[in-house]
Amino acid sequence: MEAFSSLMDGFATALTPINLMWSLVGVTLGTLIGILPGIGPALTIALLLPVTRTLDPTGAFIMFAGLYYGAMYGSSTTSILLNTPGESGSIITALEGNQMARRGRGAAALATAAIGSFVAGTIGTLLLSFLAPVFVKLAIMFGPAEYFALMVLAFATVSTLLGASMVRGITSLMIGLAFGLAGTDILTGQPRLVFGIPSMLRGIDTVVVAVGLFAVGEALYMASRRDLREAVILPIRGSLFMTREEWSRSWKPWLRGTFLGFPFGALPAGGTEIPTFLSYYVEKKLSKNPREFGQGAIEGVAGPEAANNAAVAGVLVPLLALGLPTSATAAILLAAFEQYNIQPGPQLFSASGSLVWGLIASLYIGNVMLLILNLPLAGLWVRLLSIPQPLLYGGILVFSTLGVYSLSNSVFDLVLLFVVGIIGFLMRRYDFPVAPAIIGLILGPMAEAQFRRALTISQGDPSVFVTHPLSLGLLLVALLVLAVPAVFSVVRAAAARKAAL
Amino acid sequence: MAGLLIGLGLIAIAAVIAMDAMNMRVPPVHAKVGPRVFPYLVSCGLALSGAAIAWQAWSRSFLVEAQDTDWGAVAVVAAGLVLQINLLKPLGFVPAAIILFMAVTFAFGSRRFLRDGIVAIILAVVTYLAFTRLLGLQLPPGILKGVF
Repeated sequence: MEAFSSLMDGFATALTPINLMWSLVGVTLGTLIGILPGIGPALTIALLLPVTRTLDPTGAFIMFAGLYYGAMYGSSTTSILLNTPGESGSIITALEGNQMARRGRGAAALATAAIGSFVAGTIGTLLLSFLAPVFVKLAIMFGPAEYFALMVLAFATVSTLLGASMVRGITSLMIGLAFGLAGTDILTGQPRLVFGIPSMLRGIDTVVVAVGLFAVGEALYMASRRDLREAVILPIRGSLFMTREEWSRSWKPWLRGTFLGFPFGALPAGGTEIPTFLSYYVEKKLSKNPREFGQGAIEGVAGPEAANNAAVAGVLVPLLALGLPTSATAAILLAAFEQYNIQPGPQLFSASGSLVWGLIASLYIGNVMLLILNLPLAGLWVRLLSIPQPLLYGGILVFSTLGVYSLSNSVFDLVLLFVVGIIGFLMRRYDFPVAPAIIGLILGPMAEAQFRRALTISQGDPSVFVTHPLSLGLLLVALLVLAVPAVFSVVRAAAARKAAL
Repeated sequence: MAGLLIGLGLIAIAAVIAMDAMNMRVPPVHAKVGPRVFPYLVSCGLALSGAAIAWQAWSRSFLVEAQDTDWGAVAVVAAGLVLQINLLKPLGFVPAAIILFMAVTFAFGSRRFLRDGIVAIILAVVTYLAFTRLLGLQLPPGILKGVF
């Protein structure tokens, strides 16, 4: 009930005209960038950071959260009508959604995606409202050793679960950690990886790395793929009002998708992709006519679209309650908190209660706005898809360099952006996932601080990490996460060798 | 082949990080839990991943999706960025942004120079004015100093 009264106070904050405006700006911008391929929520929030520095933090976070939700709504439109996902959370939507559009049922696909997103977003936000305070109570038991162990667990899960192979995931994580090392060591003032360049003493800004990997790397990659340049936009056909049959086939996948998406978002498992894949396979298994899958089954749109929105709500639980980002966008949000000198975690709920609860309340309102923006106005948004790709990427690069330059009016940051962009291109070209690098970059310095704090308290005795039961438990789970897929792949390789003989 | 180069590149970066850590002068108070521990850990991690990738490439189990790479287009985008970095201060934001925009549209296969040029000019001028006038951020005016 305590959460309920806090939530009511939150609505009082969120319903002020200025915060309603920020919410509307956030959800509109989110839908826009969700629809546009090549630009996602992590990149957009990173680019907005320099501009929002002087803004009131509550308004800024209401906008960012609305943007994150909105991107999930918008990306389904691109998946359905263009067959290229607007964001990685909508890859699976393209399978059935585009088939539906080809068969003249594009409007029904858009409707089930938008209503499913609304249902999942609202249930997810409800779960967030009542679970976050529980997580906060848990977090109070955490000391430096436990926090370090929790971060190790996050490193293990993001690098094993994302990407084509574990080696690639771990490599990406290590690259992120290496970026995080550069600059002046906070505790001793020791310069690290500075190579005698004065500008490097500040370290490498998160925004530079995020924009380099997501915008510059992506633009270089898309330029290299001549075959990805032409795509056909399908017109919206059919009625946006779903038939009785479509409703009855949609509601169960919405709910199942919600309850798959939320916990996966909350676990340190890299956000929205995995639950959408799971939801798709669950729906295919449970379907009475599985043969329809691959040819435009509405369940295959309803489930995954609900899952990715619920996952976003789930991601916010560990981010707000523990300060632990589980997706690339959450990592950038954490950097935004740092910009305002706000520390997410248990203290956030006591010290900045009106910010957190205003933010959570704004998500309920944002969901309603998004349903209105996306359902009746779908036809308007679709026009964005006709922006020619050369102009789109030209614009993305101009804004990216502008955003990075205005961080600290430094041309050196642009040089760093270029270098990171080349690395991002190579990662994309050779199939290394990018999210572990972003999470490593943000969490690396935090993990190091907690590691050294724990060792200082124990006077240099490294056994603290295994004598505290909670810390030991988390480290064991991390080990399991790393070991299980490795064992599997060895077994599979052995089996394949046997089969070949 | 690519996998081998990536593996060796990662090992080289690991070596640079380890050397940097070795050259630190750390006061003895911090010697135990000092600023060197994490660089060594990251260096080991990178070297091991690099070795694993190199080994996979050697044993032909480093799988890379076969795809046509238009290296020319990549070079044009990269050249656009290098030009913009070097021209931002001397020429100013607007011309540098126009050059970058034109390079990118060219790399993405557009040959409609008039349309792209008009879009580039409008985009660069409008963002310049919005950032300097509305948001109060500093951008290099360059040759257009005094015009806006």
